[in-house]
Amino acid sequence: MEPNKQKPYWPIVPSAIALGGVMVFIFATFGPPASSSGFVTTLKGFLQPIAPDYVAGKAHYRMMPGPGSWLMAFVLGMAIGGFLAGRSFNQEVHDVPQAWQKRFGPNRRRRYAATFVGGFLILFGARLAGGCTLGLFLSGSTQLAISGLYFGAVIFIVAMLTARLVYTHKEDAHE
Amino acid sequence: MNDIWLGLGSGIAFGFIIQRVGATNPQKMVLAHLMRERYIPQFMLIVVMVAALGVFGLEAAGTGTTRVLPTSLVATGLGGVLFGIGWGLSGYCPGTCWAAVGEGRMDAIFALLGGLLGTAAFAQLHETLIPALYMPTNFGQITLSDWFGSPALALGVLLILFGGGVLLIGQLWGPKHD
Repeated sequence: MEPNKQKPYWPIVPSAIALGGVMVFIFATFGPPASSSGFVTTLKGFLQPIAPDYVAGKAHYRMMPGPGSWLMAFVLGMAIGGFLAGRSFNQEVHDVPQAWQKRFGPNRRRRYAATFVGGFLILFGARLAGGCTLGLFLSGSTQLAISGLYFGAVIFIVAMLTARLVYTHKEDAHE
Repeated sequence: MNDIWLGLGSGIAFGFIIQRVGATNPQKMVLAHLMRERYIPQFMLIVVMVAALGVFGLEAAGTGTTRVLPTSLVATGLGGVLFGIGWGLSGYCPGTCWAAVGEGRMDAIFALLGGLLGTAAFAQLHETLIPALYMPTNFGQITLSDWFGSPALALGVLLILFGGGVLLIGQLWGPKHD
């Protein structure tokens, strides 16, 4: 890693107050924020012109608004916010995280295949449960919903076990 | 039309903050899951505490829109298991991967594409899976307020639970020699 004198990341308490404030703003002006729903909205936008009958016949697309919606604008805004923050950031991004590289080497394709599979699982799981980290855990717990607390506990426990299996070196492994 | 601008502005603020705190960095997410870094999980819990206080205030003032998602013992749990495997493997969740794509992370683009395929697969199976997995163990829109009888007491329980979580993570998570 390159030496970096400046601390790149913001301290968590003021950041959490800022993001909590953004969430309250969203509850005040729209409703519970969500991001996995934005995937349904995006897909509906792609599929509607190609296969209008399929989209009209499927409950999962019927229950979500199309691209001209808050949900779509929100996920696009997330990408724009990430872009603006990344452009003005003093640390480079890595296409392959160091922890992955240490365990599986620098091969990009292998990492991309893993995040593709990971992406499939997080969205399939989120759509089955009814929401994601934001739409179910953060939004739900904010509203004191049991669904959010239950989902949050499950995802943290399973992700911690998975990361341990995937990223941990065996004790006697040779470098 | 107003909704579009509100959504866009909220998204930009959200994406900017989560990038700055490191939540879009899968390296930090993996270290958090391996209990080597405390920042992201503590951040998430404090966000909920702040937002819960704010939403409690909104409700007391009679404004804002809330919508509690139902709890299905099987579907919420099984969805969480699949989600947890994908999150632990990739270090991305559905929201962070949008901001990480904007940040220029190539592996996040593949997470986003995989996510679109996962969404399409679930949408195809919705009519089969929702009646089979979601509905039979659906307990409805239950909240802590239903369990503790009063919203104020329930909020207090949440704050104690999450505040305790922040302290516990501070104790148990930390840098370890490799």
